[in-house]
Amino acid sequence: MGKQKVLVIIPAYNEEKSIGNVLARIKENADADILVINDGSSDATFKEALKAGVRVISLPFNLGIGGAMQTGYRFARDQGYDIAVQVDADGQHDPVYLNAMITKILDEQYDMVIGSRYISDTSYRSTFTRRIGMIIFSWIVYILTDYDIKDTTSGFRAVNRKVIEFFASNYPSDYPEVDVLVKLFKKNYRVCEIPVEMLNRESGKSSITPLKSVYYMIKVSMALIINSLRSGEAT
Amino acid sequence: MLNVYSFSIAFSILFLLVTLELVRKSKLLEKYSLLWIFFGFVMLILSSTPYFIERIARLLEIKYAPSVLFLLGFVYLIIFSLNMTTVFSKQSQKITTLTQEIAILKEKLEHEEKENQR
Repeated sequence: MGKQKVLVIIPAYNEEKSIGNVLARIKENADADILVINDGSSDATFKEALKAGVRVISLPFNLGIGGAMQTGYRFARDQGYDIAVQVDADGQHDPVYLNAMITKILDEQYDMVIGSRYISDTSYRSTFTRRIGMIIFSWIVYILTDYDIKDTTSGFRAVNRKVIEFFASNYPSDYPEVDVLVKLFKKNYRVCEIPVEMLNRESGKSSITPLKSVYYMIKVSMALIINSLRSGEAT
Repeated sequence: MLNVYSFSIAFSILFLLVTLELVRKSKLLEKYSLLWIFFGFVMLILSSTPYFIERIARLLEIKYAPSVLFLLGFVYLIIFSLNMTTVFSKQSQKITTLTQEIAILKEKLEHEEKENQR
């Protein structure tokens, strides 16, 4: 098999403290091109990423995680990448697992591989509200699609060329992680999870504060239900 | 005499004139003006011929006939707001795509410049 072109996409919003270290660790662990999407940061994220010698696309204003990731998928599509992996810029996702995820796609023909923190006993601890949210999302995805995904909101994901092309033209702007899973299952793409240890974020706070989490849950659930009404129609 | 009907007539005419003038000056796109022009005409017809209003009022058991005008105006505004949000949504999708494409192009340009300097 010829060499596969792999792109690691890192959406970053005000992550100047952690981005340098994250990039260095990715370089140590994977033979892949790296693309940072600087999502309208007001700090030195752009400079820090450039310093590491990777390509950086800077959005003129903040589009949010969905818009930022889609930018990366568009780039991957245009540049002919075979595999794209999303890694968060805050240092939560351990690049040690990159090769395992990529191998899983290449050897077992999965369309998407999710690095999951709940699939086995990992030392990751999460807040109570987050756990409840995860269970609810898992449950909704299961009801809508019959597939059991434990960590539906994990942003640590690898996808193949087919999904890159799909995402490039079709990616939700708000809270995309769960939404996208349902879409992929409806199109009969093959998705699997592999267990990963999530690290404590190096800096910054989760974008989901306790106060916002209820709103987040309602919004995602609504989007999912509306999406399922849409099933079958051309996307 | 000035009552709700004559006021409505005057308002509808003025409204239609302003709308047409905005379209003429290209301050309002034709496709967005259609709903307003249609609305202006309906209001003009209804307020100049109270017969329709009174029929509708009897049908809906509304005691004070001119309040049908208010009801229609209100319903129309809600429909128009909904229509506007669909327009905004479409625009915001387009802006997102444009933003992404521009950012990608800009990076590509800078990347190629850097390569050439080497």
